[in-house]
Amino acid sequence: MAKRSIVPFGPQHPVLPEPVHLDLILEDETVVGAVPSIGFIHRGLEKLVEKKDYKQYVYIAERVCGICSVGHGIGYCEAVEKVMDVEVPTRADYLRTIWMELSRLHSHLLWLGLLADAMGFESLFMDSWRIREKILDMFEKTTGSRLILSVVCVGGVLKDVDSGMLNEILRVTEELKKEMKPVIDTFLNDYTVQSRLKGLGVMTRDQAVSAGAVGPMLRGSGEPYDVRALGYAAYKDLTFEPVTAQAGDAYARCEVRLKEILQSLDLLREAIEKIPEGPISVPVKGNPSGEYFMRIEQPRGEAIYYVKGNGTKFLDRFRLRTPTTSNIPPMVDMLKGCQMADVPVLILTIDPCVSCTER
Amino acid sequence: MEKTKVFTYAGTALKNLFRRPTTIGYPFQPVDYPERMRGHIEIQIEDCICCGLCMRSCPSSALKVDRQAGTWAIDRFDCVQCGYCVSVCPKKCLTMNKGYTAPETEKTWETFKKPEQPKTETAAAGGKPVMDPEKCVYCTLCAKKCPQGALTVDRKEKIWKLDSEACVACGLCASACPKKAIEMKG
Repeated sequence: MAKRSIVPFGPQHPVLPEPVHLDLILEDETVVGAVPSIGFIHRGLEKLVEKKDYKQYVYIAERVCGICSVGHGIGYCEAVEKVMDVEVPTRADYLRTIWMELSRLHSHLLWLGLLADAMGFESLFMDSWRIREKILDMFEKTTGSRLILSVVCVGGVLKDVDSGMLNEILRVTEELKKEMKPVIDTFLNDYTVQSRLKGLGVMTRDQAVSAGAVGPMLRGSGEPYDVRALGYAAYKDLTFEPVTAQAGDAYARCEVRLKEILQSLDLLREAIEKIPEGPISVPVKGNPSGEYFMRIEQPRGEAIYYVKGNGTKFLDRFRLRTPTTSNIPPMVDMLKGCQMADVPVLILTIDPCVSCTER
Repeated sequence: MEKTKVFTYAGTALKNLFRRPTTIGYPFQPVDYPERMRGHIEIQIEDCICCGLCMRSCPSSALKVDRQAGTWAIDRFDCVQCGYCVSVCPKKCLTMNKGYTAPETEKTWETFKKPEQPKTETAAAGGKPVMDPEKCVYCTLCAKKCPQGALTVDRKEKIWKLDSEACVACGLCASACPKKAIEMKG
């Protein structure tokens, strides 16, 4: 048996946008185990729910993470609305869906860029981020902000999007479809990318399910589980089939995200065609009393929002289970047996969002 | 169906070599901000009634309102541009405008002082609303106007109730009252 050694990985590492630490147990160059540790950017945001009233907390929930910001706002608001029995106007549901899908697009494009960067494919990285910039511009035009939109409120949304802006979103989706073609072609068919990703970090469907994987990590192993199929917000009115890939390796996870980009563009078109006229919010009076679990599909996977109200304007408890939290155990399983040099790319394939995880 | 190709990206890379840059030369070339851009907060201080609702609503505690001194202050470095203060302001004197605030070397509070003006009947005189039962017709207009939902009015039962803890003494109820039955003196 080869001699075992422990190599620290992170919290500062060129491939990691956020700090997470792993102790890699190696036998020669092969990883036989990994011990993750987090806690570098814990900010105590869940505790703040006791000090900020439930309407104010929307802005804090959104600031849990920069990339999943819209989703956190929607998840929190939907949970509070369910506790208070508030019926959100249909137009607000559609607008939330449109912003959510735009956010999925920008999150996946960001990830593609990071993956290309981890592989050393710099021009593909720059191209993915150049395309992503158009979505950020659309965010700024429709909401006034580029990343943390602050546009969702309990009872609906704060800003309406007129038909001119909706048409512009449509025009941008058409442009994106065209511009994504060479990028998708390169990620799926290029020899360099395939030889870097294929057969790397294979997880079977059973392994992924039993380890509790969520999002593209789970769907890349062939399990068609996507919370959007439950039909929250406007997803109930849209044609939606979860995207899956069978191989369960890094390439399959990349394929799922690429196909989800195309699916999001179609969902956006459909939502914009079907969006009804009407009010964008309803007045909310009183305080929440009761509890609710809300599940939504973030770009990185299923996120759970739990709120418990006690009849005052301050909630008793807010709990957020983020997709990365559930994807850390499968990641540790996946790392066993891989080569030391593959670790950065493999960690990236779960799309780690550490600031969400630590809150 | 996937295939394996080589030099898949070469065409795009070559095109990029001869294309104009995607980036712009900011700050030498000015940026065209969209209409809705949330860059910084501005206040129409003469309309402000110093009710302090914005200060209580601010998630990052970036605002300070002093009713006695008639001042409204903001720490622009703490402000997260969420726009919540703008949406709660009962007098609509706060606006979110285009353009970012300039960087500075020190965190400072920017203070605005309300110009001196004679006190009017409806302006907040530092007190909470008191209703005159002889004048009140229980029309519920005051309750509808209250930004805090601090007033409960029941026309049938002839009840007018104030939640003193929620009341911020903004005086909107007094100015909305058609019978001038509310005075800000409580």
